[in-house]
Amino acid sequence: MNDAAISAALADASAHRRPVALRAGDVFSGMHRRVIDADEIDLRSRRAIREYEPRDLTIAVECGITAAQLEQTLREHRQFLPLDAPNAPQASVGGVLAAAWSGPRRHRYGRPRDLLIGSEFALADGTLARAGGMVVKNVAGYDLSRLFVGSMGSLAILLRANFKALPLPESTRIFLAALPDGTRERAFSQVRNLRPEPAAAWWIAGYDREIDGDPGDDGRIAILLECDNALLERATLDWRAALGRAGIPETRLLDAGAYASFTRLLDAPMHLPGLNALSYRSVSLPSQALALADSIADVIDRFDMHRDLLVDIMNGDVTVRAVGDAASFTHVVGMLDDALHDRAPRARILAGGGEVHDRLDCFGLLPNAFAQMRALKERFDPHGILNPGIAFFDGLHT
Amino acid sequence: MLIERLIEALGAEAVKTSPEDLACYSFDAYSQGVLPSAVVLPSSAAQVSAVVKIARDLEEPLIARGSGTGLCGGAAPARAGVVLSFARMNRLLELDVENRRARVAPGLVNLQLSERIASTGFFYAPDPASQRASTIGGNIATNAGGPHCLAYGTTVNHVLALEIVDERGECFTTAVEDLGYDLTALLVGSEGTLGIVTSAWVRLLRIPPTTGVWLAAFPSIESASEAVSAIVGAGIVPTALEMMDATIVRAVESAYAAGYPADAAAVLLVESSGEPEEVASADSAIARIARAHGATKWQAATSTEQREALWRGRKGAAGAIGRIAPNYYTQDVCVPRTRLPEMLATVDEAAKQHGIVVGNVFHAGDGNLHPLLLYDKRDARQVAAVIEIGNIVLARAVELGGTISGEHGVGIEKRNGMSLVYRAEDLAAMANVREIFDPHALLNPEKIFPSGISCREMRT
Repeated sequence: MNDAAISAALADASAHRRPVALRAGDVFSGMHRRVIDADEIDLRSRRAIREYEPRDLTIAVECGITAAQLEQTLREHRQFLPLDAPNAPQASVGGVLAAAWSGPRRHRYGRPRDLLIGSEFALADGTLARAGGMVVKNVAGYDLSRLFVGSMGSLAILLRANFKALPLPESTRIFLAALPDGTRERAFSQVRNLRPEPAAAWWIAGYDREIDGDPGDDGRIAILLECDNALLERATLDWRAALGRAGIPETRLLDAGAYASFTRLLDAPMHLPGLNALSYRSVSLPSQALALADSIADVIDRFDMHRDLLVDIMNGDVTVRAVGDAASFTHVVGMLDDALHDRAPRARILAGGGEVHDRLDCFGLLPNAFAQMRALKERFDPHGILNPGIAFFDGLHT
Repeated sequence: MLIERLIEALGAEAVKTSPEDLACYSFDAYSQGVLPSAVVLPSSAAQVSAVVKIARDLEEPLIARGSGTGLCGGAAPARAGVVLSFARMNRLLELDVENRRARVAPGLVNLQLSERIASTGFFYAPDPASQRASTIGGNIATNAGGPHCLAYGTTVNHVLALEIVDERGECFTTAVEDLGYDLTALLVGSEGTLGIVTSAWVRLLRIPPTTGVWLAAFPSIESASEAVSAIVGAGIVPTALEMMDATIVRAVESAYAAGYPADAAAVLLVESSGEPEEVASADSAIARIARAHGATKWQAATSTEQREALWRGRKGAAGAIGRIAPNYYTQDVCVPRTRLPEMLATVDEAAKQHGIVVGNVFHAGDGNLHPLLLYDKRDARQVAAVIEIGNIVLARAVELGGTISGEHGVGIEKRNGMSLVYRAEDLAAMANVREIFDPHALLNPEKIFPSGISCREMRT
């Protein structure tokens, strides 16, 4: 569908109070409730590069383009956008923005929203509008492009997104180390203080299928270095020395397979072994992340489930994948969800939950500006036709 | 009634009503507004809330003000009302080095934050030229940039959470990690029209271990502009890439003896920060590109003193212009970097046609121009010419795919330029937001949106 067709479809839906559901990559669909009884607007064919001037380091794309396609286009010009999308061959750029997805490289390069410089969008009544532009600095008017980030398609349909691109780092190397018993806290502290700063760093407990090698007595760490060629070897020496001070005797380096390994770790929480599994992510402060991870692990263990944990050392995110017994999962998952939110109120479901997904608390802690968000929704979509049921406040009362 | 109630809520010494006091708060660094009804100096979010409730009862506009260094009238009252000065809410409230963040009151001066935390090895990145005077609250209102936002981004990229008093006087908070719509980004750059910031969590960055500063001299502004495109196009993003033309170079040399070559038609000031190897790579790569584009000089600052001198010249450029003209008008537009030569040609041509001297000092790496139009305000012809050139520059920036404001904001001065960039549908979408947050149009009224039509008219 082109812009005009989407506009016409929305105008018609609005006039007849008929709900519409947006369809793109479905990668982030576990992060919200299902939309039901709605006509579908399929955005997956909207994958064009609308403008790209490599010398300006800016690119404009249709929002149905996948993160992998966008990455490939930019890579041809030695540029990149650190979207860190899981399942990048399927994840749409619009989905990344609608879900306010942000990955482990955000402390270094910013979130996807930080690189968003403009957009075109369709409002619920079919009006086509835009905000921002193709320049990297722009303070003319309200930043509506970023307002729509995290809206899950409930305020408007993002049609085009304009980004500031970044030069591709010359070198990429992953440092993988199994942690001897009792070294986790020291390792965490050393990694936080590494120079040059890591592009991403995780403490990992589990995920043995995704990462080969020794799982470590105290888990393991994976650290991503992205830098100039000239810095690579000195940084490697310095990092190894720092990890040595944390009591880590050996560090494995991945060069050729570094990016593939990084991608596997991005994908891991979204890949579930069956219907009797689910993944949560909880944001926290880096200084509190390990304690939160332990607390979450304790909850999962009480339910006798298998668990895989990822702690984003630089940003503080704690991600857990819990896999239960097929026979009892449906019965215990509700209790698990309650118990987990007691310990981690901000935990959001990333994927899974099977048939009871919509009965779980997929959003976690509600924002303080609840009323302002609801007022925006009522103004931008007065008949509630855009992705009904998807917003966290649908069905809730202030 | 208004004054009595404000005094009752805040105490007499926090409410200013004398003609001299009111006059001081009727303008910003460039624009003259009208006299406010009162100026208040709240000490807490609770006092801000009380003032908002009183103003709302009496239908008085509210204008939040930092240091008044804005250049578009954003903090100048457009129709009287109560000016909230944040001079007393100026503390660093919390410092959390472990998590690389700080909570600040809106009146904290930008540079003071970095100075106070320097011993921790961290700094606050947004650095508008006014950073010695401008406040972080004011920077949030305009989404301020600065020379180093080329590498670090603008204010919106560094605000983690906000505490806001809304138009009813109620407090709410937003955070970038919050579920739902990105209200933090919406509020940054909204020029006090959607709410009043009473505190902010901001991101801190590590001070880089090495910083290199270089100066490149060019025989023409075109060759310098081409070099800028080539540097960025080669995948090199320095921490700053600033350009000055001959008019500015001579004024700066005369004022500060910064070490700029006085015979250069254009000077590029380049800064790169990071690990020593990265800075050395940038040095050789940028020098090669500069020379390939005709640079007649490539000089590294070899000491802290030299580095500071080069930057003093750049940051003091606007002040130096005062030596060669009684008045100047600073325009602020942003274009795609590759369109810089065309934009500069338009500025030059328009200035020549109207008999006005122009000096260009700007954030070349971002495509963010600041032509300084020199004039004498006692000469009506020159005033008219400057206004006309300003309009030509705005229109041309939009034609080239750019925008009417890169970092100064819209305020009063550029509100009519919004129609150049946006269509009625785009403005109507923004007006929808305005009406939700400010249904009585009391928060910094008559700013941002084009004059002569109300938000409601835009929507219909």
